[in-house]
Amino acid sequence: MRRLFDQIHTLDEEELLILKKRVEITIIVMVTFIAILVVRLWYLQIHEGEKYADMALNNRVRQLQIVAPRGNILDRHNRIIISNRPLFNILWTRDDAKDPDLVLKKMAGILQEDISDVLARIRKVGSHPKFVPIRLKEDVTWETVTFVENHRLELPGIRIEAVPSRKYNYNNLASHLLGYLAEINIKELQNKSSSVYMGGDQIGKMGLEKIFDTQLRGEKGQRLFEVDVHGLEQQQLKLTEPLPGHDLQLTIDLDLQQIAEKEMEGKAGAVIAMDVKTGGLLVLASAPSLNLEEFIGGISQKSWDKIVHDPLKPLLDKTMQGQYPPGSTYKMVTALAGLMEGVITPETTYDCNGSFTLHGHRYGCWKRWGHGKDINLEQALAESCDVYFYHIGQEVGVDKLAIYAKSLGLGEKSGIILENEKAGLVPTKEWKKRKKNERWQQGETVSVSIGQGFNLATPLQITRMTAAIANGGTLYTPQVVLAIKDQDGATLQEFPPQQSGQAFSTARELKLINKGLVAAVNGEHATGGSAKMETIMVAGKTGTAQVVRLEHYSEAEEEDVPNRFRDHAWFTCYAPAENPEIAVTVLNEHGGHGGSAAAPIAKAVLEAYFNKKNSEPNSEK
Amino acid sequence: MFQFDRRLFQNFDWVLLGLVALIGAMCVANLYSATPDTFRGTPVYLKQLYFFIMGFALILLIISVDYRILVEFNYTLYGVVICLLLFSSLFSSGLAGTSRWINLGFFKLQPSEPAKLMLVITLASYYFRKDTGKGFTLKELFVPLALAGLPFALIVSQPDLGTALMLAFIFVSMTLFVKLRWSTLVTLIVTAFLTAGIGWQYLLKPYQRQRIETFLNPGSDSLGSGYHIIQSKIAVGSGLTFGKGYLQGTQGNLDFLPERHTDFAFSIWAEEWGFLGSLFFFGVYFFLIFWGLHIALSSRDKFGTLLCLGVVSLIFWQAFINLAMVMGLLPVVGMPLPLFSYGGSSLITTMAGIGILMSVRMRRYQAPV
Repeated sequence: MRRLFDQIHTLDEEELLILKKRVEITIIVMVTFIAILVVRLWYLQIHEGEKYADMALNNRVRQLQIVAPRGNILDRHNRIIISNRPLFNILWTRDDAKDPDLVLKKMAGILQEDISDVLARIRKVGSHPKFVPIRLKEDVTWETVTFVENHRLELPGIRIEAVPSRKYNYNNLASHLLGYLAEINIKELQNKSSSVYMGGDQIGKMGLEKIFDTQLRGEKGQRLFEVDVHGLEQQQLKLTEPLPGHDLQLTIDLDLQQIAEKEMEGKAGAVIAMDVKTGGLLVLASAPSLNLEEFIGGISQKSWDKIVHDPLKPLLDKTMQGQYPPGSTYKMVTALAGLMEGVITPETTYDCNGSFTLHGHRYGCWKRWGHGKDINLEQALAESCDVYFYHIGQEVGVDKLAIYAKSLGLGEKSGIILENEKAGLVPTKEWKKRKKNERWQQGETVSVSIGQGFNLATPLQITRMTAAIANGGTLYTPQVVLAIKDQDGATLQEFPPQQSGQAFSTARELKLINKGLVAAVNGEHATGGSAKMETIMVAGKTGTAQVVRLEHYSEAEEEDVPNRFRDHAWFTCYAPAENPEIAVTVLNEHGGHGGSAAAPIAKAVLEAYFNKKNSEPNSEK
Repeated sequence: MFQFDRRLFQNFDWVLLGLVALIGAMCVANLYSATPDTFRGTPVYLKQLYFFIMGFALILLIISVDYRILVEFNYTLYGVVICLLLFSSLFSSGLAGTSRWINLGFFKLQPSEPAKLMLVITLASYYFRKDTGKGFTLKELFVPLALAGLPFALIVSQPDLGTALMLAFIFVSMTLFVKLRWSTLVTLIVTAFLTAGIGWQYLLKPYQRQRIETFLNPGSDSLGSGYHIIQSKIAVGSGLTFGKGYLQGTQGNLDFLPERHTDFAFSIWAEEWGFLGSLFFFGVYFFLIFWGLHIALSSRDKFGTLLCLGVVSLIFWQAFINLAMVMGLLPVVGMPLPLFSYGGSSLITTMAGIGILMSVRMRRYQAPV
């Protein structure tokens, strides 16, 4: 084959003629287009020139964004938890005044501030074109607004901007879940689409406000208008109306959430209630709550310091970021493992004389003098006998325990849509080898089998586990959002229940555990007796998680132990026991015993749930 | 093919060089006015001057090689540019707009710019090899359509509507030039209009159309472009007959006009030099275009003619779209004014194109081997 290069040949006359003709056509086309440009140039500069020269000299075109009203956040019965209120800001445009310093001085007087504070805020905004308005002060009072409006002519370049802001109808309700808004920062600006987000925008910084920011925020509108030298509007050139954001309907029940938070007042911990058939959360409360109003327009340094240094750690969402030893609530796992592995039957009994001895080391039962002879599974769960579960743990071994724990959702994130969920910890031999490079000690299995030792779980995980035991073994992904709706209430997107796992169990074992849990609330020596209800059968398990094992305090009375060394109180339950609907978990940090410090709170939530259900039987399915 | 003939240098195209230098001088002077001292680091006008010097060096390099070897290397070139485009889409950091650039340390390369020139070379050598003079049928158009379609799709996905549009313009210009059969032409036009029209009108809902517009071209969203166009029109219009005078433009200096040193560079020129200055600019600029066509006809071989035509249409369409956009005739798409807007990738690509024109011009008496 000849090389391509050599195929190039000189054009002959005929070819040249054809090409010439085509180039001529090309020239005609191009000249036409150039003529269009020249005519346009003439039109702009000569025909309309005076008009534009006038606009350039005397008028300024301004653009102003119109912030879209943000979507509301509703509870499961469409009651508004968060809505909007107008927030008035003072805007200042440098270009509009001949003497901007004078205007600033006057404004500082009106705002009753020092001029240096005002200048500092302007500097903080950084470099920006002189014609772009900047916010001089956010959230000013109505008096200031009327004063400024009445003195407009003396304050060129000053304008009032009304921005929809958040209104918290129930104060700090579900603060960790809902989150707050603040001005977008540089890092967020770089990571977001520039057509939606702009400097100065409010953006969700935490919780649902952050996760569903796109859906809640709507689309901005815009106004283009001319202003004169005083910055006063002359003529509107273009108006694009904003599109309001979508509403978020939560699974949360306002009444239950309020009761849970009231019960937790002054305490630290978490209360969670879950619909066992869907995984929808009716209550998701972390105490202490955050004061959301403080975050509007940027939280002050003083308030921030106070939050950060609070020993109750309000910033931590204890429902899913707090990791605690599950304590005796873990006995459900140990019982399931024992039954499934054939280590115990309902008839198996062990004697409890108050301790269990392994390799010469004594492991005590919480009841120092023992639960007595011939303790079976039902009694062991009801009275939370440690010795009984030490036996199972030894027989089953830590790795088998871990398999059942994981099948009940421990040691892994539940998959809830919220950010920064913690996974907890389910220890195994391999884990210890990898993490600490040490061999597993048999004695450690003893601690693990009653939920102490390396075990860690979040209240959300414990709730999910309890719900799975209640509903026949199905793990659901916990859900907080039922639907996204538009302004007219029409549903745009629904969030159907999501099954995310299945416990290693059969109906037989779950029935046996259920029996023990019923006895743990309703039995003679029940540890969770304070959650007992009159008309509804509750099944539950108490837990008391040791924070530190200090010999010094081992003999002391509860009241004498300093708060930070006191045990965490757990209670997790479901009801009605025969046909479960709702699972409730309470964790009371350093509260002491689960039976006394956590079970009554769970009972309050259950009572509210069933009272409400009975009083309005047709309100919901 | 590498031996030098003294006649080559006697035939050096001083006219073209002079035109480019004149436009370059106007460009640098205009950038000096458009970007006052608020910019940190090396001033933009100096950077552009360095790019011009690099461009002239590139021209020297290109004219020392016979352009006809491009017909051998066009697929290699094609492959390299496609790889660069793929690289920039795959390894982008995910931030808005950055997938258009490859960071070379000293310079951020925008591979979609050389892609324009690459398409010119590819189509020129393809049509040169396949042209029978009888006109192309629909079936014969499949290969060049695919050759243009691949970079087009990659650039649309970046997303960079302006550059993708340019590839389409180059393809259409060069294909029409090599002649289509009438039946092919009519079929193509009818199909294009039908699909575009039906798709736009009936298949898409209004908000979807809006989304697509915003997706393809973030600059066109209602918040940005309305402001751009009004400010640009005020700048051009207020120039009047004689202009406000060099360095005296208010629209630019008062920060009214965004992107005034890149896509909107001409509005500063029009504001400061007025109608007469703008006509002078048009005169020089379009003389360069027609000189390019003159070179196309003076080529001894068809490959040279096709190459020149491609380069000329590349410069012409960019210039037309940019100027029409600046004067408010077309919506805002990212489209530089070749040789006049600030931007290294665009300038270097255009200078390479000028180099090809010169190479063809110099060899107009040299018969192919």
